[in-house]
Amino acid sequence: MQIRCGRMDGLCAWWTVAVVAAAMLLSGCRESPNDDLGVGPQVDVKPELSSSDAVLKQPVTPAVEPEREPFDPPALADLDQATTWIDRPVQDGLVLLRAAQAEENLLCSTDEALTLKNDSADTNAKILSALGRLPADGEADLEARIDRHVMGDLGSTNPIMISTSAEFDILGLTGFGLFSFGRDLDPFAAAETVVSWQTSADGLLDKVVMRDDLVWSDGSPITAHDIAFSYTVIMDPRVPVPAVRSGTDQLRGVHAYDDHTIVFFHQEPLATNVWNINFPVLPKHVYEKTWEQDPTLKDSPEHVALEQSPIVGGPYEIVERTRGQQIVLRRRENWSAVNGKKVREEPFFKEVRFRIIEDPNTSLLALKAGDIHEMILTPEQWTTQTTDEDFYQRNTKANAPEWVSFHLGWNIESPFFADRRVRRAMSYAFDYDEMLDKLCYGLYQPCAGNFPDDSWMAPKKKLQPYKQDLDTAEALLDEAGWIDRDNDGIRDKEIDGRLVPFEFSILCSQQPLRIAICVLMKDCLDRIGVRMNVKPVESTVLQDLTQKRKFQAYFGGWGSGTDPDTSENIWKTGAMRNFVNYSNPEVDRLYEEGRRELDRAKRAGKYARIQEILYEDQPYTWLFWRNSFYGFSKRVRGYVFSPRGPFHYSPGFGSLWMPSE
Amino acid sequence: MNGSPSHGFWAEAWRRYRRRPLAMAALSFVGFLVAVAILAPAIAGTKPVLCRYKGKLYAPCLGYFDRRLEPVIFTKDKFRGEYPRNLQEKDPDSWAIWPIFFQDPYRSVRADEWPGRPANPSRDEGRPSRMNPFGTDQYGVDVLAKMVHGTTVALLVGFLSMGIAGTIGIIVGALGGYFGGWVDMLTSRITEIVMCVPTLVLILALVAIVDKPTIWKTMAIIGCTGWTGIARLTRGEFLRLKSSEFVMAARAAGAGPLRIMLRHILPNALAPILVPITFGIAAAILMESSLSFLGFGPPPPAASWGSLLNSARSNLAMWWLVVFPGTAIFLTVLAYNLIGEGLQEATDPRLREARK
Repeated sequence: MQIRCGRMDGLCAWWTVAVVAAAMLLSGCRESPNDDLGVGPQVDVKPELSSSDAVLKQPVTPAVEPEREPFDPPALADLDQATTWIDRPVQDGLVLLRAAQAEENLLCSTDEALTLKNDSADTNAKILSALGRLPADGEADLEARIDRHVMGDLGSTNPIMISTSAEFDILGLTGFGLFSFGRDLDPFAAAETVVSWQTSADGLLDKVVMRDDLVWSDGSPITAHDIAFSYTVIMDPRVPVPAVRSGTDQLRGVHAYDDHTIVFFHQEPLATNVWNINFPVLPKHVYEKTWEQDPTLKDSPEHVALEQSPIVGGPYEIVERTRGQQIVLRRRENWSAVNGKKVREEPFFKEVRFRIIEDPNTSLLALKAGDIHEMILTPEQWTTQTTDEDFYQRNTKANAPEWVSFHLGWNIESPFFADRRVRRAMSYAFDYDEMLDKLCYGLYQPCAGNFPDDSWMAPKKKLQPYKQDLDTAEALLDEAGWIDRDNDGIRDKEIDGRLVPFEFSILCSQQPLRIAICVLMKDCLDRIGVRMNVKPVESTVLQDLTQKRKFQAYFGGWGSGTDPDTSENIWKTGAMRNFVNYSNPEVDRLYEEGRRELDRAKRAGKYARIQEILYEDQPYTWLFWRNSFYGFSKRVRGYVFSPRGPFHYSPGFGSLWMPSE
Repeated sequence: MNGSPSHGFWAEAWRRYRRRPLAMAALSFVGFLVAVAILAPAIAGTKPVLCRYKGKLYAPCLGYFDRRLEPVIFTKDKFRGEYPRNLQEKDPDSWAIWPIFFQDPYRSVRADEWPGRPANPSRDEGRPSRMNPFGTDQYGVDVLAKMVHGTTVALLVGFLSMGIAGTIGIIVGALGGYFGGWVDMLTSRITEIVMCVPTLVLILALVAIVDKPTIWKTMAIIGCTGWTGIARLTRGEFLRLKSSEFVMAARAAGAGPLRIMLRHILPNALAPILVPITFGIAAAILMESSLSFLGFGPPPPAASWGSLLNSARSNLAMWWLVVFPGTAIFLTVLAYNLIGEGLQEATDPRLREARK
């Protein structure tokens, strides 16, 4: 229902979160699963759109943890002797971005960009080019405050409880981490916190040496012991960790050899190991005594106090929190300067104020009034409500492709969709042009499968998105045995001795765009003798029903994780988010192989093959890729979009700045 | 009711009612809505009202009332919902009578679906025009077609839910008022309990639980919770009338309680009871519109006035999404209120005296 969800359409994947999550919490970059348009089932998704409920609530690991084998780390000297270490990149996202921008040609001046109206790809490129630049020395106002928009409140300020997009937005700025990933989603260790990062030649170990000039917001040093401690807490089954345990559960152990040296031990040499070692960090000296008594980390008086004013290790700390209204972060002076000595660059904003507004119409009013400086725009807002002087007086807008896709999922265990021909018929029945041009205002791209065409894991030979072809759809249904035998205008088939009419329900969340897309599908199917009932439900109900596999079809979407392996839990037989009960031994095998294959080109081949198989099997009817559409105040500069939107990578939000007045 | 005294009473009431121009206008308006609801497929639709195809007569427009009423031959012949061109192509001798507005309440009309006509405008471009007198919504669906087909829902909600409420209310009130004692005690307490249940919350809860929320279930709930006022009034009337002379006469003549309640008391109590029922109809229509506005109305793509209002929320510049359905809801609710008021004044002797 529109009212509850704020931004419009999106669902995003929480798997994203899981892995990525981890990925993000890093120093300068925040990450959040995205949020934007409000799509439906939050089922899956990243909490995007919907306000607060969109969360990835579900624990990714089973409730009952398998007993972990005891792990006894060898001595560091033995380890060093027995291991060939290979250096891995240690980088600063901001430095990388600055270098990349030095190579780019400016398409127009800043002043010109501020007068442009973003009504074509050309002006969009100009705006991004001119207003996306990092500041020259002294150009940024380091005392500035930015007012950001989030769709829902925080569930918790504890970084290991992270799961919704609002939590990624905010905890990404306050959290401490060793790793991050850049605009191309390639992982690296963050130069702000790490001296060196090495991986063993056999891929079973990762060794990180941390910087010695890091302190928590209470002044205690951040050490390798904090990281080992956090791993212990995250893996304790008594601690209700919603998302970040997926990934860390692939580790054998984490051991701190001294205050600055930490080694991660893997069970297997996986391509995904670089993501598994990236998890949020808690201050050991704060939680050491309290967590055993209260493993929920939120019920005891000490934990309640910490929830209100957490001890943090990132560049910002929370200074004010009004539930349901706003959260104010202030730059930590002891992040950039320790003992009076400047040790790292300070972030561009002194204060970041997050305004919590659920309704997209309300947030647009706030943007126009100058109360917030950025927000995600819905397709309707982009096209019809941000084109006049009223909007451009204070703001401008920009868009870029984003890896978030939407689909109709067919439950393969229902009597209707077990046959691949039926699922393909569904895909041939849908009117994609009507959806893209009319319902989505021509702003989204057609989608043929799991991985975006421009990603490294997509097939080299582009798959053509399905097009409406009612003749083919009818022929496929005839072939599959769905024929109108009892002359009531509805196709039917004898199943277990009973004539079953082809009539089913599709679940979608209560968002106007999603409902409209389902209604369009209903009309398309109606024309070929198939009845579909559209059943909009509350997003939490949708999440529940899809997780229990109690549906025939649903409308959903996934945000892309940073690694193609994150989609394994959507397609592998019996996987958590395999809502449609898809099972194909070859796909299962390819995921296994892809994870073990360390050569990226060969790995890409595995995932490309998965995409081709899925394309043939059509367990989903893929609908569209949803772009990022943002409105920005004209005072804000430095926004650069990645496939995960403008904020959720490194530097992401860290590159935003405001010029001095 | 041959020769029963209430016969003259009703004729008298009708005479007085007819003298009130506003109440009569309201009654004609409701009559007009009933006509629109019944003739909806002939007013706006994309299926022929009547057509001759391959030598036989069909009325595909009935499909708007129930999908099963649409002749199967058109599905078999792969019309795929598009009649104008297919009729010509597949049987050049065919003829058809078309609805007044060639527009569909459930989908946007495609380009050239009616030879030579462009597709419906979508996004925010659907201002009222010759093709779409009331404009189109963001997805290109004609507002007039939606409103015409939504009339059925608006009327049904009013009549059915108040039918249910009236039945329950009269039975409960009659039992309590007539028998008194512990029966009265029991029915009065039940009435009070039901009064405490907020209808809107109950419906929201129901929508979350029920597998297939339909407009019928919504009506049932509005009916099952909206009878309390009627029950109280009925009880009062029965309490007053059960000691009147004509009831005593009937009892003396040996009539049983059921006969006394139905034949003697009820006809005399009906007039005051009808008034809250008319107001209830208006309230039910408003309730349905609010539910649709909140997104809990009949399942999409069902046309309903409230859901049209809802689609205006995201872009208030599309004034035609607010003005037309808003006016329709306003006028209908006003009409029922005027009818209720007219009834009250026509039947209440005290008010009649005051007017003289």
